[in-house]
Amino acid sequence: MNIKDFIAPFAVWKRAFEKPFTVRKPIDERPGAPRYRGFHINDAKACVGCGSCEAICMNQAIDLVPVAGLPAKEGDSGLRPRVDYGRCCWCALCVDICPSGSLGMSNEYVWVDADPEVFRYTPGVEAKPWDKSELGYRRAEGYRLLDGQRVAMPELDHQAAVQSFLELVRGYSRQQAEREADRCVACGLCVASCPAHMDIPGYIKAVRDGQLDEGLNLLYETNPFPEACGRICTHRCEAACSIGAGTGADGEPADPVAIRWLKRYIADQVELADYGRALPRAEPDSGRRVAVVGAGPGGLAAAYYLRLQGHAVTVLEKDEAGGGMLRYGIPEYRLPYPALDKDIAWIQSLGVDIRYGTAVGVDLSLADLAASHDAVYLSTGLPAPYRLDVPGDDHPRVLDGVAVLAAATRGQSLGLGKTVAVVGGGNVAMDAARTALRAGCAVDILYRRREADMPADPDEIREAKAEGARLVEKAIPLEVKAIPLEVKAIPGDPAGALVAWNEARMVQKEDGQRPVPEPIPGAVHEDRYDSIIAAIGQGPDLAFVAESDGIEIRRFKPVVASDGRTSRATIFAGGDLTNERKDAISAIADGHRAALAMDRLLRAKGN
Amino acid sequence: MKELITSLANRYGVRDWKDLKAGQAACFVDSGRLRDCLRWLRDEAGYAHLSFATAIDQLERGVFTLTYALRNHERGHSLLVHSEIDRTRPVVDSIHRLWAQAWTYQREMKEWYGIDFPGSPRVDEEFVLEGWQGPPMMRRDFDSLAYSDATYAERPGRASSDPAEHMKRELYPEEQA
Amino acid sequence: MSRAKAPYIAPAERAAPDLDSGKYLVMWQGPNHPGITGNMSLRLVIEGDSVVDCETHVGYLHRGFEKLMERRLWMQNFPLVCRIAVPEPDFNEYCYAAALEELAGIEVPDKAVWLRTLSLEMIRLASFLMWIGGQAGAFGHGTIAQWSVTMRDYVLDLFEELTGGRIYHMYIIPGGVRGDVPAGFLRRVLETMDTVRKNLDDIELVMFHNVVYKMRAQGLGYIPPDWVDQYGITGPNARAAGLPRDLRKDLGYLAYPRLSFEPIVGTVSDAFERSRLRLLEMYQSIDLIRQIVDMLPARGAFRAKLPNPLHWKIPAGETYVAAECTRGEYGFYVVSDGGDKPRRVAVRGPSYTHGVALMERLARGVNIADVAGLMVSLHTYPPEIER
Repeated sequence: MNIKDFIAPFAVWKRAFEKPFTVRKPIDERPGAPRYRGFHINDAKACVGCGSCEAICMNQAIDLVPVAGLPAKEGDSGLRPRVDYGRCCWCALCVDICPSGSLGMSNEYVWVDADPEVFRYTPGVEAKPWDKSELGYRRAEGYRLLDGQRVAMPELDHQAAVQSFLELVRGYSRQQAEREADRCVACGLCVASCPAHMDIPGYIKAVRDGQLDEGLNLLYETNPFPEACGRICTHRCEAACSIGAGTGADGEPADPVAIRWLKRYIADQVELADYGRALPRAEPDSGRRVAVVGAGPGGLAAAYYLRLQGHAVTVLEKDEAGGGMLRYGIPEYRLPYPALDKDIAWIQSLGVDIRYGTAVGVDLSLADLAASHDAVYLSTGLPAPYRLDVPGDDHPRVLDGVAVLAAATRGQSLGLGKTVAVVGGGNVAMDAARTALRAGCAVDILYRRREADMPADPDEIREAKAEGARLVEKAIPLEVKAIPLEVKAIPGDPAGALVAWNEARMVQKEDGQRPVPEPIPGAVHEDRYDSIIAAIGQGPDLAFVAESDGIEIRRFKPVVASDGRTSRATIFAGGDLTNERKDAISAIADGHRAALAMDRLLRAKGN
Repeated sequence: MKELITSLANRYGVRDWKDLKAGQAACFVDSGRLRDCLRWLRDEAGYAHLSFATAIDQLERGVFTLTYALRNHERGHSLLVHSEIDRTRPVVDSIHRLWAQAWTYQREMKEWYGIDFPGSPRVDEEFVLEGWQGPPMMRRDFDSLAYSDATYAERPGRASSDPAEHMKRELYPEEQA
Repeated sequence: MSRAKAPYIAPAERAAPDLDSGKYLVMWQGPNHPGITGNMSLRLVIEGDSVVDCETHVGYLHRGFEKLMERRLWMQNFPLVCRIAVPEPDFNEYCYAAALEELAGIEVPDKAVWLRTLSLEMIRLASFLMWIGGQAGAFGHGTIAQWSVTMRDYVLDLFEELTGGRIYHMYIIPGGVRGDVPAGFLRRVLETMDTVRKNLDDIELVMFHNVVYKMRAQGLGYIPPDWVDQYGITGPNARAAGLPRDLRKDLGYLAYPRLSFEPIVGTVSDAFERSRLRLLEMYQSIDLIRQIVDMLPARGAFRAKLPNPLHWKIPAGETYVAAECTRGEYGFYVVSDGGDKPRRVAVRGPSYTHGVALMERLARGVNIADVAGLMVSLHTYPPEIER
């Protein structure tokens, strides 16, 4: 002890006149820091209601609740997160995981109320003073809990691709597939968008867990064409995927989960010989007979589900092989025939009888068919190509896109010459263009509107361009003309034709409508091509339906109920023939729905 | 380190030595030789510091794994000594005379897992769970959520919807599974 | 003066006072003592004004964290663990994250390593500031508590700015950290360090040159060096006894190997020496924080890419990750069975040994007025005892 020990403590007095440290509430405000994790905010318009916030919340503080004025729609469940502040711990993992990036937190931390029930609310829906708060916790730049980037799919490079009909997309390896499957949050927003309502989260989980037999079983519950759909499906599910709803760590729009490639991965990994291990067999024979007209994906899907129920199914197909447009309309670099054959082989293995080369309306009548079977399913698709509908569209060098693709499938010589114009903007146009490229042609794609308006898959457009097709936008065909004799006489040159087309500009005619192309006066071009491929759509051919069959037809389509039943109780129809979507998965969904309805009908008949 | 592994194996039948990372290893000893092994490690091998002792319920295999974390400060090395005891007769030698704080860990394991350490001070007294009536709470077959649901009432007014189910109800209710 | 008020008694032995003799009084301290000693209770047997026997009773803060963690996804435990030591949550975050990263084989970016070091060193300082208030307060020097708790709040302001939370920072997430430093943050760190340092100088003057504090703290709770291993004593309690044990040096985790510092050791581990040592460690922390601010990389990723937290499975294995918190060895023992939830997480808090077995032993012979001061001098945080 020394004297300092007695005196030093009095040094505390030197602070008696210093400014106090305390905040003088309520005179002084003390806002939370810019990153403060305060009360939640949610951009209810950007939120897709996927529930990832609810899934990550370790306090179970979040419920997903329906909100008035926000109906469920594709890619949005219409539900919004409701936070219970009796449970919330303000960890902000909900903000970190939010795929759309709609959730955030304000820097507000004072909320006093006598009623404890108010501390449970739906941010962004029930207005709060901090809704517009610029400050508060947001995900840091470059920081995400979910991976916004898809596992890159190995593909042939375009230089090599255009040299052959080899499959372009190589498929995921096990490691790649499991990594991609890991990105899924299993919200299930995709299920509603899939026409077949496949159990997408279920089979993605199977990929994650390495349970491929289980995955295959889930696929076949709603879709007996996994190999085909795993390659060429229009994948509306991916447009709905919540993972693609926001931006990734790099600030770029996030990629949806590669649902289609994961489906393909499952089907590719299980050998046909092992399908029996994973999939159900047909029920014992029911004694009922069903005929299916057309062995496309819809017809065979109906056949598969009917056969599973034990009904005897005969499929009548005018062509020499099954698959319909999958075989004759889609080039093999997108869907190799062995993959399609695998899907069809499994359906046949259950005892579905397919009679090839048998055209209803030619070899036998629909009336005969209806008389000899308990039910009939019509899935004849759209076999009749639309014409260009310009003067000279009957010129011999004007070819039909689907016919060109079918000829390629059959291995026939295409005889396209060296320069080809493809008219149209759909997938058939892209496929025809790319098939022509593989035949060594220089290809121009003429389309009436802009690239953004093209109905084809963006991937297909991108690939067609990458492979060397030249896209001519806003080009309205006017006329196809024969080449004058004096020009034609080049030795060794095949007979070509001239295409006259008018440059157009896009005009907004009515608000809210999409703009229409309007010809620019005088801007007419005339180009010479060896072949002109028209790919502007196809229509049905219902010549085989007689008036006496009793099937009501309106606007060239059989009128069907939601389960596919026509005006005649035992005849059902579906696929491209009746639906608006006109893609494989919709046809498969139609076939499945109709099969269930027909099964009910057949069972009712039995009693 | 090789010398230590050999000594432990020869003296106490220690096996399954595994280097977990730089400066940390794990090994296994039969529960009957556990106390002697720990004493030797403390007195002869320099592992004088007991970081903690705990148990892991291996419900599927019907055993409790005991873990004693020791540290040799001179060598800068930690050793996790494991042992296993039968889940139906969970009794093991007490080490309360080896380390003066060991009895607290043992009291905790008695309360949380039902593992007995005969002779350990106050081993049967409540530790953190005053008035606890249920089974030892850290056992894997004690379902804390079920207990909580049965014991406490949920606050009313909570309900959540599954997005996929909700969309099905709203968008395509007519369709069957 | 003799610093060893309490005669040596072998740890396992314990006096058994005859409560029916009429010589003794049983008195409970806590669990409602208004201080950081207050959320556990001591059952004291008193003879005159001296403690004859002390029994600790814990459990008032038991929240079953270790059980809860076995029921939650790996990532869901990240917001849970910080609650295990309220005034010093970051060590839980770090140990948990580092254990997961080890088991899953994840490399943490260098920037995150530095930011983690910064946040651990800042919370050491904040925790010490809270402790010194408690230590002074336990001996009636409430003014010092007012200063130091204010200083702590200034450090918490920094945490609020960096992490969005004052108490539970939830910043050290498996894979890295949750964000880079905000603009101008490092300048404010240095300014705050200057303010804290100035206040520490004041505290040093009025607390450590104070006859009352000296008389009461010197000799109180003497820990002989050979008790250190016997009781599993770590941190300042051990260093004050002359053992240069500091896991920041011994384990060399995070950026500590790249910082220049030496473990601070004392000579005689009594309450006074321990508090003086902690004061020096506060200065050391300020120095380390300045070094970190100096060396913090300006650019670079602050978090490694991890699998989807909703499905994250960690390969089967076990690891024990320890770090030097203000009170000593803080550790997480994590066992994975390969699933998406932990098989077992055991938390090793230094208070477990200091606050129970050691406290019971040291309390014997202590004046009842000094019991709170003794307990604070061991720097115990009850929540980490009962988890």
